[in-house]
Amino acid sequence: MILEPVTYKGGLYRNDEIVDLIEDVGGYIIQKQMVATEVVIQALVPRDDIALISEVAKPLAGEITPSPLVGTEIAVVTPSLEIHHLPHASCDVAEYIRRFGAKTNMIGLARGFGKRIAQLNDEERDVINEHDLAIYLLGDFEECIRHKFPVLRRGIEVPIVVSGGPSKETLQRIIDPPVDGYVGEVGRFMHRTKESEEINKLEEVVEEITRVLSKKREEIAKDPLSVSPARLMDIIRERVEEIHRVLSPTPITVQMAGLRVKLPYDQFSGVLKELEIEQGVTIGDLADIRPSRMRDYILLRIRPFSETNIMV
Amino acid sequence: MDSVEYFEVECPEAVGKEYYRKIADIVLLDHNLIRVIKKLHIFIDPRVPIFIAVGITKKLPGPVKIRDFADVNIQERKVTITIGNEEYLAPLLNLLWQKFGKERVDQPDRFTILLDLSPEEEVGLEDLVVMDPSESLYKDLIYALQVIQPEGFKVRRQYYAGGKFYLVASEDTLPEDIEDTVRQKFALMGEKL
Repeated sequence: MILEPVTYKGGLYRNDEIVDLIEDVGGYIIQKQMVATEVVIQALVPRDDIALISEVAKPLAGEITPSPLVGTEIAVVTPSLEIHHLPHASCDVAEYIRRFGAKTNMIGLARGFGKRIAQLNDEERDVINEHDLAIYLLGDFEECIRHKFPVLRRGIEVPIVVSGGPSKETLQRIIDPPVDGYVGEVGRFMHRTKESEEINKLEEVVEEITRVLSKKREEIAKDPLSVSPARLMDIIRERVEEIHRVLSPTPITVQMAGLRVKLPYDQFSGVLKELEIEQGVTIGDLADIRPSRMRDYILLRIRPFSETNIMV
Repeated sequence: MDSVEYFEVECPEAVGKEYYRKIADIVLLDHNLIRVIKKLHIFIDPRVPIFIAVGITKKLPGPVKIRDFADVNIQERKVTITIGNEEYLAPLLNLLWQKFGKERVDQPDRFTILLDLSPEEEVGLEDLVVMDPSESLYKDLIYALQVIQPEGFKVRRQYYAGGKFYLVASEDTLPEDIEDTVRQKFALMGEKL
């Protein structure tokens, strides 16, 4: 069963029917947001059932659109978030990627600015490495990017997409060794993106991220995960009562090969480890449970089939 | 930037130059400074790295006195100030409180201030300077240039006097001969520091 990431948008009226339907066909709700009388549901649904869902949604004036980034967590890395340099291009980028279903986290480096003085500390490095992908939003000068980027990428193991003021070709030329994706002409600017030309640039950023992530998805498909992250999320949601008392918008953030559970590690790592998925297989058998460097959250990394020899 | 007589960005990188031209344009517009700048020359060299902005301001409006925005009516010890333009009300009130004390300054409504003054205190009341726009302009101008400069340039030198200003910034110690460079940039605009 291939799960397809989609976004459902519709009215509040009878939205629970859609939720039930998605769950009945074996899909997973990643996030459900209610804004006034609107409902936005991000979900993973079986590819064959998309037509059925959109048919049921039709009389409810709801629509279902593919959103390739649902179920991913992306780090938007920017050298600084200084107040007198607002508005930052990164705000627009982070916001725009969210529209396609990704969960984005802005990471403003403490000392990422400047050319010679740019630094990346171990906490920042570890936090970036907890994501599925990092997009670096750099400045306008090629000289500076050439000089500082090797420092900013040191120790980063996740795929990187770089954007900056110079053209895409220039970025490709000056960045060595190459990174996974490049977007040119999105550097430092001091205004909000409104014109269609600028929106097209944001579109390009999303396309590049999608391309890099689908490559990563293919990699994962070669050695599939022992359990789907969305399923694991469902199980935790069902069995761990405390998760419903977490106030953050996504108490469990789904990643491509894991989960970020926003519960304190000390109290709950043991609980999660012992949680049974089915037939005596516990989460601890299939996933590494580690403390996250983000607050005191828990990070679950699902091991591939080749390591566990179990598939549930 | 049409109202600015001279505006140039100098930079060895053509792409970066265009971006910074636009950034400077937007920042000055956002900070409402376009109308006070006469000439502006920005020099950025990311190889050093260094950022230099030099410029001159237009002739500024003089200090604002009470008579410019309000009517003063004096009847023996009772003084009535009728406000015409509310923009300067807050600094005026502050000034009056400081000078005469809060108990002697009464503001029955938005546009009226009543004072209880002795005849000596009433002399020259209309000519009291409420605000000097050039004072805050210096701060605003330097702040705007800091916004324009590339992020992370923490070593700065700034100057403002007699309508001329400059800001030099870098992440390294500034070179000793920096003032000569600044003079050269002034010369490019046909001005002398």
